[in-house]
Amino acid sequence: MKYACLTSTVLFVSVAAPAFAVDKAEVLKTYADIAFAKYSDSLTTAQRLQTAVTALVSEPSAAALQDAKSAWLAARVPYQQTEVYRFGNPIVDDWEGKVNAWPLDEGLIDYVDASYGGASDENEFAALNVIANPRFTLSGKAIDATKITPALLEGSLQEADGIEANVATGYHAIEFLLWGQDLNGHAAGAGNRSWTDYAKGAACTNDNCDRRGEYLGAATELLVTDLEWMAAQWADGGAARAVLTADTTAGLAAILSGMGSLSYGEVAGERMRLGVMLNDPEEEHSCFADNTHNDHYYDGLAVQNVYLGTYVRSDGTLVTGPSLADLVALKDPALDVEMQTKLSRTMMSLGRIKTTAEAGFAYDQMLERGNAAGESLIMGRPLRTIAPKPAQQGGNGAHRRFGGWG
Amino acid sequence: MKPVAVCLALLVTPVVAAADPIPDIVDRHILPKFHLLAQRTKALSGAAHQECDPRSAALRAAYGAAFDAWVSASHLRFGPTEVNDRAFALAFWSDKRGATPRALTALLTQEDSIATSAQTYAEASVAARGVYALEYLLYDEALISMAGATYRCALLQAVSADMAASASAIYEDWQSDFAAKLRSPEPAAVYRSPAEVLQVLFKSLSTGLQFTSETRLGRPLGRFDRPRPARAEARRSGRSSRHVQMSLAAQQDLALRLAGDEAELRAKLQAGFMRALLQLADLQDPVFEGVADPQSRLKIESLQQSVDAIRAIVREDLGPKLGVTVGFNALDGD
Repeated sequence: MKYACLTSTVLFVSVAAPAFAVDKAEVLKTYADIAFAKYSDSLTTAQRLQTAVTALVSEPSAAALQDAKSAWLAARVPYQQTEVYRFGNPIVDDWEGKVNAWPLDEGLIDYVDASYGGASDENEFAALNVIANPRFTLSGKAIDATKITPALLEGSLQEADGIEANVATGYHAIEFLLWGQDLNGHAAGAGNRSWTDYAKGAACTNDNCDRRGEYLGAATELLVTDLEWMAAQWADGGAARAVLTADTTAGLAAILSGMGSLSYGEVAGERMRLGVMLNDPEEEHSCFADNTHNDHYYDGLAVQNVYLGTYVRSDGTLVTGPSLADLVALKDPALDVEMQTKLSRTMMSLGRIKTTAEAGFAYDQMLERGNAAGESLIMGRPLRTIAPKPAQQGGNGAHRRFGGWG
Repeated sequence: MKPVAVCLALLVTPVVAAADPIPDIVDRHILPKFHLLAQRTKALSGAAHQECDPRSAALRAAYGAAFDAWVSASHLRFGPTEVNDRAFALAFWSDKRGATPRALTALLTQEDSIATSAQTYAEASVAARGVYALEYLLYDEALISMAGATYRCALLQAVSADMAASASAIYEDWQSDFAAKLRSPEPAAVYRSPAEVLQVLFKSLSTGLQFTSETRLGRPLGRFDRPRPARAEARRSGRSSRHVQMSLAAQQDLALRLAGDEAELRAKLQAGFMRALLQLADLQDPVFEGVADPQSRLKIESLQQSVDAIRAIVREDLGPKLGVTVGFNALDGD
């Protein structure tokens, strides 16, 4: 949140003024190289996930399900760090919904608890349950889903009826198929799907284990091909790289747009503040796996590593080069210090959420009504200022520029 | 509102160019709006304590008056409105995931004791607080008869009193503290210079217009092949079109005050707002049902384009005049 304030007000200044000693084209190259590295890492880790999913579906067991879950969690680490490439690069924005759309009305995909309800005002297909229904009608069109394929998920189900919550593909659809619904509310615990949801024959629980496995396989295959495509766009000669570097100033603006929009409107606003205000345990980015603390953490890390022009790949390779930080430091060293300090402080705050969640106080527990500690963690406030005296409210820095709209 | 009435409204409320727009906007735009909001939410709370029947004309009138005051101030989202999420607590919308009916249903079915008082209710989910939640309690056929009458009444009173508390806190902070911060920026303060104050005022205007276009009009419009009339703002109380009118009127007032004495720019802005307001009046469609009909849909799309044309004037003419740009806002992201 703190970096949101900074990027929204100060960074544009640095773009407007030329800094001759650092080659802007080199800064863009570093940015594109890091994009390629991050999407390639996302691809590699998704391929490992695919291997684990294939093993789970062909020889279901508790251990195989656990392996698949671990592979999913690992795959999220590089992927979340690519989110900083959204909002500034149209090619990423046009594609992103296929792989990371959320929140989802998971009843579209599979069985859900009775408390989930059925079709809603907003979404007629919130409880369609494709896994249990090989044939159905969607917006007046008969759909044959006897075979669940990547083409079916991508072509007919994703954003069915124009509803964004009809998420049929990507990480969160896979997450739901691995973990299941988190029915613990604000209490401890994530989704608790049994491996027997994939078991063969009579051991199968909740019916349609074959179709569930087919869905999981198709969604994972699609994730891999989608990531392959995006990694290629950032390779030498790729389309995303070409668009970015066509106009140096516009390219730098794209970097800043991504950093600012991801940190402010998206993560700090839509994903963090809204959840606290609604006290809704479903208002978390990875609500099935309870991995939201990591989602936020790696988004924050992405804003920082794009600024610094340094990324460590999942195989340990270092990708680094001339950076935005270098540009800013030349123009205004104090601003660069402020920027780096605030990014570091933000990582400390996100780290506090992450370590607390890892120690057992999950993100959805932090969202509970009246949970002052959770609120202070997420809102980045020290506990003692949760209820400031009225006289202090106008003057504290918390709403300096972090308005609802401002 | 009839076209004539709109013209009249434009004529009788001329904004006189002030030498310094900042004190002018603070004294004649911001403070009166939050004062009115505080008064009307207080009156609403009083009405809810007099009369608990959701169909009561007096209660609904008090509700409408409070909602009007909110919409007219709804673009001023900075400083005191953002302390303790007060503005969200007053007005949580758009509600893409149906959080408001879900939260209210949960409270009603459990007869949750959080509705005992405004103080305890301040802890409730923002989805269950404020004008949009109250609309469900006054106008939604299902919620209006859920749970026992005693609890429904307590909930209605808690929501109203909580709104009055938020609005009063916003106004008090503006009066006692924040108005001075805008009037007298200084290096170590929230706003370091007049330029930063103009920036936040400009951003309120541009983000308010964006919200009018993309959310108040854009959500019911949906796509041509899939219009979404059920997403119109406050359709249960029949207020969707009224909100576009009131928000445009408030934004016009702010725009003209920001334009100061630049006659040409003022005329351009006047013409832009006039065009949009006349188109709106011509629709005669209180809840934008027309989005689903190709003929009337075109007119609503055209209205949206007119609002976007105002946004272009604001961005390309007013911004450079003030020396500010939009930068990031909370509507960024997806």
